[in-house]
Amino acid sequence: MDARPNIEAVDDIFQEGKVVDGFVLGKEVHRGGMASLFSATKEGIDLPILLKIPRVGRDQPVESLIGFETELTILRALKSPYVPQYLGSGNMATRPYIAMERVGGHPLEDQIKEGKQFSIEEVIQIGADLAQAVQSLHSQDAIHLDIKPDNILIDERGKLSLIDFGLSHHERFPDLLAEEMRKGIGSAPYIAPEQVFGIRSDYRSDIFSIGVILYELLTGQLPFGNPQTMSGLRKRMWAEAFPPRAIRKEIPRWLQEVVLRCLEARADDRYQSATQLRQALREPETITLTERSERVAPVSLWESMKRWFSAAGYEPSPSPRPSKGNQNAPLIIAAIDTRQSDQELRERMQMTAKNVLLVYPEGRLVCLSTIASTPTFEGNQESQTASGIVRNHLVQLMEWAKPLKLPPERISYHVLEALDPATRIVEFAKDNEASLIIIGGSHKLPNKVAPWRTSMTKIVEEATCSVHIVRV
Amino acid sequence: MTERIGLFADLHSNLEAYEACMTKAQELGVTRMVFLGDLVGYNADPCALVDRIGDLVAAKKAIAIVGNHDEAVFKDYRDQMNPHANAAIAWTKTQLSSAQVQFLKDLPLIIHEEDRCFVHASAYNPSEWNYVTDSMSAWQCAQSSGTTYTFVGHAHEQALFYQSAVGKLIRFAPHPGDEIPVMKHRQWVGVVGSLGQPRDGNPEACFAIFEPATEALTFHRVPYDHFTAAEKVRSAGLPEELANRLITGK
Repeated sequence: MDARPNIEAVDDIFQEGKVVDGFVLGKEVHRGGMASLFSATKEGIDLPILLKIPRVGRDQPVESLIGFETELTILRALKSPYVPQYLGSGNMATRPYIAMERVGGHPLEDQIKEGKQFSIEEVIQIGADLAQAVQSLHSQDAIHLDIKPDNILIDERGKLSLIDFGLSHHERFPDLLAEEMRKGIGSAPYIAPEQVFGIRSDYRSDIFSIGVILYELLTGQLPFGNPQTMSGLRKRMWAEAFPPRAIRKEIPRWLQEVVLRCLEARADDRYQSATQLRQALREPETITLTERSERVAPVSLWESMKRWFSAAGYEPSPSPRPSKGNQNAPLIIAAIDTRQSDQELRERMQMTAKNVLLVYPEGRLVCLSTIASTPTFEGNQESQTASGIVRNHLVQLMEWAKPLKLPPERISYHVLEALDPATRIVEFAKDNEASLIIIGGSHKLPNKVAPWRTSMTKIVEEATCSVHIVRV
Repeated sequence: MTERIGLFADLHSNLEAYEACMTKAQELGVTRMVFLGDLVGYNADPCALVDRIGDLVAAKKAIAIVGNHDEAVFKDYRDQMNPHANAAIAWTKTQLSSAQVQFLKDLPLIIHEEDRCFVHASAYNPSEWNYVTDSMSAWQCAQSSGTTYTFVGHAHEQALFYQSAVGKLIRFAPHPGDEIPVMKHRQWVGVVGSLGQPRDGNPEACFAIFEPATEALTFHRVPYDHFTAAEKVRSAGLPEELANRLITGK
C-alpha cells in the first residue's frame, strides 16, 4: 500500500519551472485528493493551459488510475465549446498528465457555498446553458454522469463550462468503470436512481442531475439530501422531492413542472433530451402543466407507500419484494461450496439454515454457489459447456437444500460466476440487503480449495451484514 | 517511423478481401503484419493467399500463425467441422502444392513477443481452438498469455476485451476507425475480426492496427469486391452457401 516513493517520483517531475513535453509548468493552482492542477504554457499554444496530474504512483492499484484514464480517453475525443480543449498527455506509466485548456470562471458551487440567492431568471439561464452544454456531450455519444455544481464553471460573462470527466461514459470507448465494485459512484446528492445501481449508459441520468441542480439553486435545498448509505441513495427511486413551490412561493408553476420532471425516478418519465429541457426552459408557454406543477405539499403517506411498492420493480437484484421491513423478513444467504465433501459440515450448515428460518417465519433463503470460470469451448459433452456447468451447480444446490423442505417462495438458488468469490458474495449480499451470510468453515479442506478459506476471511471482513460461520 | 502492426485473421482464401485490406493497411502506414491464422478454408484462392503471405514472411515483413482450418489441411478435423467447412477443406487440399502445405505445417501455434501474444483462437489451450467470445473466455485467454496484449482471431466478430477494476474482462464492440487508447497497465484481448468471411451482417472485411508507442488500437472495416469473391467460390464448385455468406456477411 506504500506508494509514497512513486508519488514523490511523479511530484519530482511536475514542479513549477520544469518542462514536460514542451509544457512549461507554472504555479500549482489546486491540489486535491485525486489530482494536482498546474498552470502551464507551451510555445505555439495561445490558450491558457492546465496540467492535471493524478496523485498516484505507477504501482498503485489499477482503480486509482481509472478516473484519470477515463478522463483522458473521453476528453481527447470530445469537441465542444463547453468543455476544456484537450492539448496533450503524457505516458501513463512514467509521467502521467493531461494538458487541457484552462477555462475561465469559478465553480457554481462557490456561489452556492457563499449562500447566494439565485433569482428565478438566473436559475432559468443557468439551466438552459447547462442543458445546452450537456446536449453537446450527448450528441457526441458521451454522458457526463457527474454533473454537479463543483464541475460547472461559470465565467464573468456567464459562459458555462463542464469539467471533470473522470466518471464519464463514452459509447465509442471501453467503459473502464463498468462493473466497478462500488455501485452508485458519483456525488450522492446529484446522481440519478439508475446510477445508484451502477447503470452507466443512460444519458438521461445527466438530466436528472440538472434537475437536482435547478432544485438546489431555486430552493437552497437538495431534493434528496446528501445520503451516505446505499439505502439512503435508494430513496430517490420512490421518494418524491418536496415541491419547490412549497419552499419558495415565487417559483412559477411551469418551472416546478420542469424541475420535478427532471427528477422523475424512471428515466422514461424525464425529458428525453437535454435539448427538450432547454426548450422548455426557454419557451415555458409550450409546457403542458401536469399535476407536478400543482403540488404544494409533500405526497401523502399512502401515496408514498404506493410509490415505494412500485419502486420494487427497480431493484435489479434477483430477489426484490420490499416487504414491511427488512428485520421481519430477512434474506439469508447460505454460501455453499459445492466442492466441499465434509458430510458433517454439510449437515450442520443445513441445520443452521433451518433453525434460522424457523426463527424468522418471513425469512427467505438464498443458496449461493460461485464458480470461477466456465469454459466457452462448447465441448462435445453437455456437462462441459458453460450452461451445463451452471446447471450442474444448481442441481447440487437443490440437493443441498432438499432436507430443509422449504416452499419454493422461501428459497432460491444462484450460481454466480466470479473470479473472486468472496467479493462477489459480499456484493450480492449488499445488493440484496441480506441480513445474514451462513458459511461453513471446515478443517477438512480438500487440497485444492485453499482459496475458499481465504474467501471466508474476506467475507467476514467485508460483509456489511452478519456472518455466521458454521464449524464442526 | 513508429511501428504500426497490421493484424489480420481468418483470411480464408479470400483474395479480393486480402488485396483490399493490404491496400488500406499500406495507406494507413502499417510497418509490419501479423497473420493470425486460418489463411485457408471456405473460399476460392488458397494458393494465392499462401504464396503472398509466404513471401511476406520470408521477407520478414510479417509473421504468421496457424489456424484450425490451416491444420485441417494436414490433420483430420472432419468430426469437428461443419459439412461446408469440410467440403472447402477437401477442395483446398486438391489445390495446394506440397510446398504450400509444408508452409502451413511449419506455422507456429502461438507467438509471444515483448508484451504481446499472437494466437489464432485463444492463448488458453491454443490447440483446442477455444473461442474468445465472452468475458470468461477472454479472461482465460489473458491469464494464459500473461501478456498485456493478446490478439486473436477465430471468432469472426470484432471485439475488444478489457480488464476492469475487478480483474474481469469486459467486452466492448469497437466502432471502425476509432482509435482506442489501450493503456499498458491493464490487459487487453483484441479479436480482430475476419478478413475473409465476416459474419456480423456486414460483408466488409475486418482487420485492426496496433500502435505500441501510442498504445492505440484501431479496428477497421474495408469494403471489397465481395461479389467477385463469391462468384469464384461458385465457379470452384464450393458449396453455394459459402458464396452467400460473402454476399450477406452472415
